[in-house]
Amino acid sequence: MTPATPLWEFVDITKAYPGVLANDKVCIRLMPGSIHGLLGENGCGKSTMIKTLSGVQQPDSGQILHHGKPVTISDPQAARELGVATVFQEFSIVPTLSVGENIFLGNMPRSRFGVIDWAKVHNEAARVLAEMDVDVSPEAITGSLSVGEQQLVEIAKAVAMDARMIILDEPTAALGEDEIERLHQLLRNMRERGTAILYVSHRLDEVERIVDEVTILRNGCVVRASGETNINVSEIVSAMVGEDIGEHYPKEQNATKDIVLEAAGLATNSGVKDVSFSLHRGEVLGLGGVLGSGRTEIARALFGTDELTGGQITLNGKPVRFRREIDAIRAGLALVPENRKFDGLFFNFRASGNVTAASLGGLSRFGVLNLKAEEQATHDLIRDLEISTQAEEKTVNFLSGGNQQKIVIARWLFSASDILILDEPTQGIDIGAKIAVYKLINRLTRAGKSIILISSDHDELLAMSDRIAVVQHGTIVRTVDASDLTHDDLVRASADTPQSKPKEAFA
Amino acid sequence: MKRIFDTQLIGPFAAMVIVALIVALTTERFLNPGNLSNLSLQVSIVALIAIGSTIVIFAAGIDLSSGSMVALLTMILAQMLKFVGIPLVLALPLILFMGGLLGLFIGLITAYGRIPSFITTLAALIAFRGLALTFNNGSPIFSLDPALEPIFYGKLFGVPMPFFYLVFFYVLAAFTMNFTKLGREIYAVGGNPAAAVLTGINVRKVQTTTFVIAGFMTAVGAILMSARLNSGSPNYGQTLELQAIAAAVVGGASLAGGRGNILATLMGAMTIVIVQNGLNLNAAPSSVQNIVLGLIILLAVGIDMWRAEISGLMGRMFGRTSSQQSSNVKKEA
Ligand SMILES: Nc1ncnc2c1ncn2[C@@H]1O[C@H](COP(=O)(O)OP(=O)(O)OP(=O)(O)O)[C@@H](O)[C@H]1O
Ligand SMILES: [Mg+2]
Repeated sequence: MTPATPLWEFVDITKAYPGVLANDKVCIRLMPGSIHGLLGENGCGKSTMIKTLSGVQQPDSGQILHHGKPVTISDPQAARELGVATVFQEFSIVPTLSVGENIFLGNMPRSRFGVIDWAKVHNEAARVLAEMDVDVSPEAITGSLSVGEQQLVEIAKAVAMDARMIILDEPTAALGEDEIERLHQLLRNMRERGTAILYVSHRLDEVERIVDEVTILRNGCVVRASGETNINVSEIVSAMVGEDIGEHYPKEQNATKDIVLEAAGLATNSGVKDVSFSLHRGEVLGLGGVLGSGRTEIARALFGTDELTGGQITLNGKPVRFRREIDAIRAGLALVPENRKFDGLFFNFRASGNVTAASLGGLSRFGVLNLKAEEQATHDLIRDLEISTQAEEKTVNFLSGGNQQKIVIARWLFSASDILILDEPTQGIDIGAKIAVYKLINRLTRAGKSIILISSDHDELLAMSDRIAVVQHGTIVRTVDASDLTHDDLVRASADTPQSKPKEAFA
Repeated sequence: MKRIFDTQLIGPFAAMVIVALIVALTTERFLNPGNLSNLSLQVSIVALIAIGSTIVIFAAGIDLSSGSMVALLTMILAQMLKFVGIPLVLALPLILFMGGLLGLFIGLITAYGRIPSFITTLAALIAFRGLALTFNNGSPIFSLDPALEPIFYGKLFGVPMPFFYLVFFYVLAAFTMNFTKLGREIYAVGGNPAAAVLTGINVRKVQTTTFVIAGFMTAVGAILMSARLNSGSPNYGQTLELQAIAAAVVGGASLAGGRGNILATLMGAMTIVIVQNGLNLNAAPSSVQNIVLGLIILLAVGIDMWRAEISGLMGRMFGRTSSQQSSNVKKEA
């Protein structure tokens, strides 16, 4: 095969869902040995395209050419046989199975008598994980890993197939900088070997670093075609959004001197130890650190999810003890969890039910809900946060990831919380939505609310925080003004000791 | 208002109408006023119990205990009226209270003991039947109280009393599910328990409450059963729990929890009873009735599961798509 012929060509792919034309005559050409970025706002149809390419669904019309010959990809198994491996946006790992089992799910190596060859499962899984530079045991139960590690297992599944084309739908949304760099190295190695890579991400900085060509979608249509090699972030953004978006990080300074929350020597059995910090009214306190450094665990300790084994939380000068989440919520805390799919959304509700779920008490009199107020408030929030208006009529499982995330945040905007813990609030949402979230943060701090921001996007953390607490191994090693820190400082500060330490017992 | 009578009702309603049409066309006596009022009597007990079963299902649980609980409560009622001498006006509220209490036990063990409701209510299904047999040496008790029968057979303005109970309880249940905090919390717990915890909903309390409601509604059914036959028997209510669950499922409630409309359960119960009635009028043996009931359940769930495919197929057949981009889509078609 000469490198000039595309490995795959997708011509005029059209796919409609009830009421939405998700892909409208989309054409993409994938060359061997090239990383192709598929970009666009939330809901523009990226995942729809990927589901078609990987046989999960059939296009309404269009043509698929493999080595120039028309083929149909009738189901995921057919895609696999054609050498296509896909990492979907939605997790498809089974949490109760081991890492090795997940990596080979549906494709288990067997010995001569048809029984599963466990030695091979574990050896092969270990080899793939080593190639990816991931420090996770093949025997570990996948559900016990952090979200980021689970994402890496998800990617390992695709890598293990040794495919000629690999599709990644937002593989880095749950990853820290360190893991992203390792993933990029892996992709570069695959590109060397002539693999075609289709890559979706909302982190434009990494797109700029790794992608060779781009296709940009807007409202289901291609607005920038394949083959563009000169990639410039601001051009991409204006092509995606269709207009100039202005300041990327519109940070306002709203921090005051009053202390609203103080943590002293917090410890839990989940690995938090000796965590002390104070949070001011109107402040954004950023928690920086690598994946698995214990930031999510600190959030859980504050919110009453994990029991404190030591230390004291003081709220507005009064010592408090949260035995359960509901105690924390009553005291005015809110947690926007890292994993919106499992911990955040009610997929059986429309936007309204999701928005008001944490405020049903305030919304009802004698147990009867004020549905008019609910619809009105939801309507306003949908307008303010620029959420797809479909959310008013449809249950949220039909929405794109970015719209779902905005709805989870809207829930805590609607509730009367004073302190919001935002765990990776912009994970997987488009640039426009990210800016909407930043503006929301401003709106909250302006109103005197305080925010603890957890983010693996260092630029975002630096730009949106007033102060940054650097977390390592479950403890805060230092707290500094965000303005005194550069991107490189933060990377170094959070990673200056190897994070694999606590896991060595595992392997 | 719009939300209670939403699209979820169209399917179950259509199913009910179609079934009624078929039975009416194939069976002469079906539309006799006598048969129709008999029908509302027949559906009442299942449909009332199904309110509780459905609400438990909304919260992602299952209640297998109701049939046996009916037997147990009819025996307790009979015992109280016939042998203890408790007056009817006192015995009836006591039975309702006991139903709620039994539900509370099941709910507490399920929610706080973290045992799946399939197991706790299966245990209750077996144990309650056994408990019912401990009264009166396991023999039925007859001729309880002449004032009992009018509760079931009585008429108001010429309409059988059970009709009023159905209206009352279904309106109350629809109100609760659609307009109250409790109803919303039940759907939330069924939809995503992990998210419910993080939004401050007391998941265990909500789960327990659904079983209290189920126990109470089962007691209502038990009273009607006793009134209908003026007796109590340890053999009453066999497979009633399955018919109640079937009514919920035919009405479109998702066994995974979080989805469904309580009024659709009434239609589900009617559909089932109309089919049974049609087969009865045509003197079909009970074996055939059970086979048909099984097929209805399969069909109802199947239609629900394949809804997307079916509507897609219809869309393609009739070139119809809803809303804004329809012109674009048509071009493609
Ligand atoms: N199963 C479905 N049924 C109906 N509509 C759907 C379905 N899946 C997606 N959609 C709609 O199709 C459009 C495209 O969605 P898609 O998931 O492809 O977006 P995306 O570009 O991947 O967005 P994101 O960046 O948020 O992941 C959206 O309007 C979405 O609401
Ligand atoms: Mg997507």
